[in-house]
Amino acid sequence: MAIDTLIEVLARYEAVIGLEIHTEITAARTKMFCGCPVAFGGEPNTRVCPVCLGMPGALPVPNEAAVEWTLLAGLATECDIALWSQFHRKHYFYPDMPKDYQISQYDLPFCSGGFVEVEVDGDGVAERADIGGSMPFVGPEAVAEGSGYRTRIGITRIHLEEDTGKMVHVGGAEGRISGATHSFVDFNRAGTPLMELVTEPDIRTPEEARRFAQKLRSIWLALGVSDCNMEEGSMRVDANVSVRPRGSSEFGTKSEIKNLNSFKALHDAIEYEIVRQAATLDAGRAVSQETRHWDAGARRTSGLRSKEEAHDYRYFPEPDMVPFNFDPEWVDSLAERLPEMPDARRDRYIAQYGLRKHDASALAGEFAFACFFEETAGIAGLDRSKQVVNWMLGELTALLKAQGSELSDVRVTPAMLAELVALIEDGGISGKQAKDVFAEMAETGDPPGAIVEDRGMKQVSDVAEIEAAVSRVLEAHPAEVASYRAGKQTLIGFFVGQVMRETRGQGNPRVVNEALRRMLG
Amino acid sequence: MAITESDVRHVALLARLALTDGQVATLTAEIGAVLGHIEELQHLDLAGVEPTAHPLAMTNVMRADVVRPCLPRALALKNAPASDGRAFVIPAIAGVGEEA
Amino acid sequence: MSASPDLSAMSARQLRDAVASGGISAREIAEAAYARAESLDTEVHAFLQLTPELAFAAAEKVDRARAAGEELPPLAGVPAGIKDNMNLVGTRTTCGSRILHNHESVYDCTAVRRLLAAGALPIGKCNLDEFAFGSSTENSAFGPTRNPWNLERVPGGSSGGSAACVAAGMASVSLGSDTGGSIRQPAALTGTVGLKPTYGRVSRYGVVAFGSSLDQIGPFGKTVDDVALALEAIAGADPFDATSSPEPVARYAAAPGEGVRGLRVGVVRGMLETEGLAPAIRAAVRDAAETLAGLGAEVGDVELPSARHGLAAYYIIGPAEASSNLARFDGIRYGHRCEDPADVIDLYMRSRAEGFGQESIRRIMLGTYALSAGYYDAYYGQAQKARTRIIEDFRAAFSRFDVLLTPTTPETAFRFGAKVADPYSMYLNDVYTIPVNLAGNCAVSVPAGLDPAGLPIGIQLIGDHFAEATLLRAAAAFEAAVAFAPVPPLVRSLGTPKGGE
Repeated sequence: MAIDTLIEVLARYEAVIGLEIHTEITAARTKMFCGCPVAFGGEPNTRVCPVCLGMPGALPVPNEAAVEWTLLAGLATECDIALWSQFHRKHYFYPDMPKDYQISQYDLPFCSGGFVEVEVDGDGVAERADIGGSMPFVGPEAVAEGSGYRTRIGITRIHLEEDTGKMVHVGGAEGRISGATHSFVDFNRAGTPLMELVTEPDIRTPEEARRFAQKLRSIWLALGVSDCNMEEGSMRVDANVSVRPRGSSEFGTKSEIKNLNSFKALHDAIEYEIVRQAATLDAGRAVSQETRHWDAGARRTSGLRSKEEAHDYRYFPEPDMVPFNFDPEWVDSLAERLPEMPDARRDRYIAQYGLRKHDASALAGEFAFACFFEETAGIAGLDRSKQVVNWMLGELTALLKAQGSELSDVRVTPAMLAELVALIEDGGISGKQAKDVFAEMAETGDPPGAIVEDRGMKQVSDVAEIEAAVSRVLEAHPAEVASYRAGKQTLIGFFVGQVMRETRGQGNPRVVNEALRRMLG
Repeated sequence: MAITESDVRHVALLARLALTDGQVATLTAEIGAVLGHIEELQHLDLAGVEPTAHPLAMTNVMRADVVRPCLPRALALKNAPASDGRAFVIPAIAGVGEEA
Repeated sequence: MSASPDLSAMSARQLRDAVASGGISAREIAEAAYARAESLDTEVHAFLQLTPELAFAAAEKVDRARAAGEELPPLAGVPAGIKDNMNLVGTRTTCGSRILHNHESVYDCTAVRRLLAAGALPIGKCNLDEFAFGSSTENSAFGPTRNPWNLERVPGGSSGGSAACVAAGMASVSLGSDTGGSIRQPAALTGTVGLKPTYGRVSRYGVVAFGSSLDQIGPFGKTVDDVALALEAIAGADPFDATSSPEPVARYAAAPGEGVRGLRVGVVRGMLETEGLAPAIRAAVRDAAETLAGLGAEVGDVELPSARHGLAAYYIIGPAEASSNLARFDGIRYGHRCEDPADVIDLYMRSRAEGFGQESIRRIMLGTYALSAGYYDAYYGQAQKARTRIIEDFRAAFSRFDVLLTPTTPETAFRFGAKVADPYSMYLNDVYTIPVNLAGNCAVSVPAGLDPAGLPIGIQLIGDHFAEATLLRAAAAFEAAVAFAPVPPLVRSLGTPKGGE
């Protein structure tokens, strides 16, 4: 799917996108309504009890930590916290539903009316055909460095509910539902506390959607509410997409896209869907309201044909639990417990470490990176922050990308990186040597000092030793010395090369240069 | 408020009950009769009255986030109509059409 | 050791005291209960399942403790019936339905566990209207229970089996559940005492839910004192039930002795004037008012103007909550699954249609309709508003009175089949009991005598929230004054056991 196609479409149609993001509260030790432990995987049906199995006579009792986490999530995203709230029952029949109703929230969600600001730069900017937009939103402003814009995505609500069980389908293609002959149902996950966040339809491009999801993930990670692991399903994103001709104020028919297992899939699926819907409208047909499934292999969405009538969830207030009536002072005290959020962290990095905004954003936006950076800078010293940043955003990032691994997987530790930076700065090794050392320490896990020792890489900075080498070189090349002194200053390069050969490449360039100039005169 | 056979069939689908035509006819009459008896509710002036949220005046009942013993798998599966000793077994989903 | 105890003649308290003093063994009590069941239950059918293994194990535990000189718990050796919608490991819990016909409990209902921890012997699981939907036990998928007073007549419902086993002396106490009158109405029809506690007084964890905002587990007994003993054993907050109350549990069994001098009793006149109330019952309530006045109570009249809408509100709220609570019976994790389902939708639709009885289907359909899109406000929303009015009426009444007096039922035990043709006529049985569930108050039915046909009459006393102690005090005073110790003819005809009391 060429980006040109998308951009061509977006010149004629406006895309209206909203996201629904489900996040498991993996910070909780137990399930939402019972004391079974929350974890991923494990032998099927071994983390269950009468409550989360929906046995006859079992009753739900809400997990206070999960409620608190949800309120914190709302506070972290500028939401209003409902002082009066309750759970509702949402009815539908499905094999992974232990009670055939889900305990969720309806018209009294814990959090509502928040927002997240998203910045788009780079290629993603091109997707935004009209920076003005026909929906009210904050911005846009050009991002300080380079071209880009900022947009505010409203959060309609965040509510709390319970996750379903899991099914494994047998007999169909790739474990998919269609063509399956039978299925196995595992209720280990059933009852896990789940936050559902719904955005306002403020998103206009696939890239904005991706950035929003990434930003939200970084906020959740900074908060500590979830491990946000999209492969394991602790964070799941669905997108609602519709298009309308530019200038129109009526909403088009929306489709819901599911099965988005990565932020890239989120971007690509929305892109595909926008183009598909535009083509449908261009051909004079109507877009049907349906759920569509993203096929990452075939890179297309397909409709889930179903016999199901439109959902009638028959919501009513959950009679097995009493309502919530929060003390406003208590809610305020929760706000004080919020840890530092990514935007605040970014601003602090600019102020405290003197980083450029782009670098600060890159580090602050990824919680694990931010922690690694602060620890490394703490050991290396504030004055070496910029070098630390360069290594992290340069070699370290490249390494992660090449290996396809996470920061927690690599053998490089903050202490090791700090030591490496010190070795360069204190003249132990050259920048080029350092790259080799980095590669080796990433592979072996050996500290850089040891590697430098073993390989005899230590840079020679001792002035006397260098002068001795320079002396030998000058003695060996009297003709060039004479030429240099006669005015051929460009020969300095020749002499530097010779001294480096003499010192087996380990001469500290700065010291060599100074010594040469001194001794050449 | 009269209830029709079409209403009844729709409700039966919502409630996942396979009713015979005879049952649909009978239920239409019976439910219609009950609704007729309770129609008085519609004529009550209850403007401004709050619906009962809960018979008890309690709020904020929650439990601490503490692990409790789980059910052994053998008990969890004890009454399963079909299982392989590890999971509940069900026939094809196709046709259900819902996904969480 | 004495001969076999006459369970009809001895109260639970007397049995317990006899066990504690060494006069009888718990084992002998269990044997007597099962002997009684053997002679009577083929006809009465109070029990769906007898549980002698559990009963004799419990008896042995009591007898060993007694032999070791330990202090015995308050219900030690008392034979008890348990309504078959309450889970107990080691028993099937069928809810009187084919959909759970061989369902084995994998955990215990808190109230049952507490009753057994107090030393009671679990004699068996009692018959009920399927899923507690009914007022006659005719809706049980396994055959009705017959009223020990007249085997052609119903024992009431839905806790018909629980009431009948006590009336017939097969158990001394039993547990039932009450959503709209399902303890009090069968108590009235069988000449037993039946108490519905304040909503939240007793944990609902482990009893299969019908109307979650209405249900309570409560005790049956032959005497008010026995009921008070049982209530004390089972009441109290439960961390597994978020709607159970932290209100401290009073010594209910101590309360009855205090008398009613100065107690303010309100007779709900409007209920005495309803059409369809049997004259004998009306007279019994009036007599009860006089009796209480004679004992020193201040008796007056009170109105509950909105209570007449209780039936309508209940038949929306109850079925709505029930339709939701019964969704889980889907053939996936437990319960009946149809043969050869083509796919999951087919599995749901046929399993549920095959497993549920007619009344269950009726209520599920009614409840689903009431909650469905477009109807919620008109039905469920409106019913919850009417409920608020009823709650206000009770609150106003209890600002002037300590206890209210009404009939329990409009008629005494009716014949089998009498109300099957018109479901709504069955619902009318609960017209006096339903408002109490809607308001969450406690109430008890106490035997007041027999009607001209020799069938038991019960009167209902209603108490304020968590005022069971006051309620039981009034009930005990009335009971003592009436001095009516009902023993059904069926039981009397068994004759006195050898060397009995």
